Order: sequence, then structure tokens, then C-alpha cells
Amino acid sequence: MTETFDPATYLAAFLGEVPQGEPGNAMMRDRLAVPFIDTTHENVRRERLETDEVNSWLDYAAWNLWDFILGRASEGESGLIPRQEYETVSFVQQWNTYPKFQQMLTDELGVEGLLELAKTSTREVGTKINVTRNWAASVCPILGRGIGIELDQDTAASRREDLESIIQYGRRLQNGTWGDGPGFVSARGFKVPTLDDDVLQSLVSQAKPFDDPEDLASFRAFNARTELFGFMLHYDCRAGMADTGPYPLPDGRVAIVRDHFLNETAYPWAGVAEGLPYCVTEVLIFPADKVSMVVTEIQTTFSEPSNYLDYLEAGVVFARDRIDTPMGELRVLEQEEMARISAQCRKGTMDMYKVLAKKSHEEKIRDGVMVYTREFLLPHATRAGIWDKFLAEGFDTLHPNAQAAWPVLTSPRAAEILTPVLLFGKGFPHVTEE
Amino acid sequence: MSTTDAVQERQIGTGVKAFTSANSATGTIRFLDSPEEVLDFIDGPDVETTVVISRGGTTTFMSPALMAGVAGLITLQGAPESHLGILSREFGIPCVMSTEFTEGVQTGRGETIPADGTTVRLDISGDQGLVHLVES
Repeated sequence: MTETFDPATYLAAFLGEVPQGEPGNAMMRDRLAVPFIDTTHENVRRERLETDEVNSWLDYAAWNLWDFILGRASEGESGLIPRQEYETVSFVQQWNTYPKFQQMLTDELGVEGLLELAKTSTREVGTKINVTRNWAASVCPILGRGIGIELDQDTAASRREDLESIIQYGRRLQNGTWGDGPGFVSARGFKVPTLDDDVLQSLVSQAKPFDDPEDLASFRAFNARTELFGFMLHYDCRAGMADTGPYPLPDGRVAIVRDHFLNETAYPWAGVAEGLPYCVTEVLIFPADKVSMVVTEIQTTFSEPSNYLDYLEAGVVFARDRIDTPMGELRVLEQEEMARISAQCRKGTMDMYKVLAKKSHEEKIRDGVMVYTREFLLPHATRAGIWDKFLAEGFDTLHPNAQAAWPVLTSPRAAEILTPVLLFGKGFPHVTEE
Repeated sequence: MSTTDAVQERQIGTGVKAFTSANSATGTIRFLDSPEEVLDFIDGPDVETTVVISRGGTTTFMSPALMAGVAGLITLQGAPESHLGILSREFGIPCVMSTEFTEGVQTGRGETIPADGTTVRLDISGDQGLVHLVES
């Protein structure tokens, strides 16, 4: 007897069985052969992994991706930027190129240096060396493996060493940020309180109450416009924003610390951002008894009630003027400069929109692949001082497998391939014993 | 159906609200189907009194409308976790996503939407996002 396939079952629960959120995390942990999603001092230093370790990681990552992507999967088509197309081509590109470049980073810094690098997000704001990259640097290329297998470019048994090295790259970043314990945000209660207390206090102490409704309105307009500009500058992906928190404060309130990256000079269209700070960092303070918040794997806040900004009580904005501005030189933005930045973000968004409206579909996919492939390693390579070496080694050159996947992944057939990979648990096939 | 003074309302659409708010949005409908239409629209005089409809739930397509401060947003696809859902929340612009209409005109792709110029009110105060036709 043949069972009827019902896609709704797979949207209601992972593999039709595991729910979203914390109950799903608990169920997945129970299912894993070994608790390899927990990083330890010992297991992040190993080069080779056991089959059970790899498969446990793959199983958890498959649920984790499903959990996070479920709401977005129905986002629908874009009238301006073909984001699904460029993202999926990027996954294949990353699977085929990241092992080499992650090895270059590991060779340059050593494992200890990589762990230290990932600690940056506990001491700094306005940096893309953050939790989003911890996740994306491993899950995204390994999703590319799943797509490659669907396209018969690879098999579940091929390139085992590359698979292990990518998993370990991500796990080392997770361990550097959090220390021993769960590395995924979904296994940490959907909270991302990365900043050390002293760093957090130095930021929170400068927040001011919004006693004047006009100040509050200006702050909210600044928040919205800089966030939208960050999306535009990063080709409609969330690489341009990152929340940490929620941070419970001693006075019964709770804080979110939010980065909006406004002047990423790595891209040819960066001219629209000329004169803007590299990053603006907002501290947003809410009454803890009125708003509860979670932060996702890619550092986006969701709240209950959903109109969290209506409860905003106090805040402050800092500027990190350049990517290498020391933390000690962060400066508080005053109203006048916030208004100037807000206006420039509005103008920059419009200017970039007009340019994008004239670009060809193919050109926008190519731009998007550059953004999406660069974003997860560029911050690490820049800090390590080897970004130029990456470029000289052909970091941006499209791999033949990505080139071959392009026509399929940008065609109407893409949904047929991607839906099972993204939503039906087919993206992370098990390896088998060698 | 509810009646307020001489204005009558009738629910014509149901979707998912991007965020909750007691503030509703009333405006006239404009369906935007291409970047060129978006650019033409935001150069016009009625931006702040318009409820725009887009097909998808991505942010960048509607970014000029968000920046210009439209009265409300309706999408035919998408969810609150999508980028447009997140940004409408940040801008505080009422947004109803994946909306299905019970009456209206047909788009070129056969979707039913209210005709341009129709006055609607978006209600995002309850469990769902509702679109009401406003008739005076």
C-alpha cells in the first residue's frame, strides 16, 4: 500500500513529527545518537569526527533550519531582487569553495585563534563577527551539500572530509562565543545575550528615557530607516542587521542591543553609503513585565506582544565609524546627526532602488551571490588580515558546480528541488561508515 | 457589518497581521506590480493616504513605499517573519499578509484584489488581519 504524501504535515511539524521552538529542540535532542550539538573544549579541537557525531549534527541542523525558515518559506516572490535564486546558488558555491577558505583562516589563526576571534561578539558591538556568521558559516554550505546531492553533483558519501571541516569551523565559532555547551541559538532558549556584563553596562548606562514623544518618534524613524537601508545595501538579506539579547536588567527592565550595518565598503554599490558610519548600534530598553522577546539564529527579535516598539521606554544610539574603530572610540549620536543619517538612508535606499530597477535579472543574481557568499567569511578574513589573499585565490569566482546549478535553481523547477531540501528534511543526508 | 455615522464597512479580505496594533489604517487601494510602478507611485501626491498591495512579502520591492510612509500594506503572499513583515513592524505601518479577498477585480494572474481607488480599512487589532471595504 502506498502512503499519500501530504505536504501540510511537513509544514506543521518537522518530518511530520517534531514541532517548532523549545519543544522541538527538546525532542530533537532526545533523538540524537550523541549530543554533538554541545561543544566542548575537547571536541572542537578535533580534526576528524565519528559518523554518529556528524549525523547527529546533520539531524539537528535539518530541524534547526526548518524551524527558522518555516515562516519565511512562504515569503513569496520578490518584485525587485531575486533573493531565493541567489541564495540557493550561493549555498552550492559555499559548499564547493568554503572548505578551502575556512582552512586558510584556520591555518592563519590556528584553532585557538579562531576561538578567540569568535569571542569578539562578547566584547564588541558593530561587528559582523557575530552569532549569525557562527551559524551561517557552517549550516549554509552544508545546505549546499544537500542541494548538490539532489542535483547529482555529489553523493551523501562524497567529500566527507570537507563536511567535517565545515561542521568544525562552525562549532569552533560557537564555542568561542558561548564556551562549552549548546552552540545553536535554538538550543539556548532562543536568546542571544552575547555581551559580557561590563560591556553591556557601559552601553545601557548611556540610555535616556523617551519622555518627549517627538524624541521617541525620531528614534523609531531612525531605527526603521537604518534597518531598511541595511537590507537594501545587503541585497535584501539580514546580513545588515543583528540583535543581541534579550538582556534582563537589574531594574526590572530588559534590553536589546541592535546593530545596523550602513557602510559595508566591500560592494561595488557602496557609494550610496558614503559618509555614513560603518555601523550604528541601538540600545532599546523595555519593561520586562510587558514585553517578552526571543532572538532567532540570525539575530532577529520577535516579541509578545508583537508591537514591542510601542513599549520602548529608553534608548541610545552609538556609531562605530569605521570597521576598525576601537570599541573605546564608539560615540553617542545626538538628534541632529541621527536625523542626517536617517535622511541619507532614505535617499540611499531610493537611489539604490532606481539602480536595481534597471539591472538585469542575471546581474542581480550575480550581485546577490557575491553578497551572500562574502558575508559569512568576509568579517573573519578581514579581521585576520587575509581578505586580499581570499580575493587573489579566487574567492568570488563562480565554481563550476554553482555555474551548473544556476539554470535549474533559477528556473520554475527550483521549487521542486528546494522544497524537499528546505522543508521536508532532505537537505542534510546522513553520511555512512567509510 | 458595522456602521459608524454615515460610513459603512464590510469585510472583504482576511490575512495574517504582521504585528498587532489598536491603530487601524484607512486609505485608497493601489496595486503595485513592478519597480517602475512603485517609483511612479511614490512621486505622486497621495502616498500617505494610500494602502498599497504587493504580491510578495520581500522588503526591498516595497522599500520606497515604506520610506515614503504609506498608510498601510497588503500582500498576497508572505508571513510576519518575512522581511516585509519585520520592516512594516519597525515602521509601524499596519500590514496584512497572505490576504485572500472575497470580492474585487482580477489581476493579470487571476488573483482577486480590490480595484485601485477603493477605500479600505486595515484592522490588525485581533487574531487575524482584516481588510474592510469602506463605503460612504
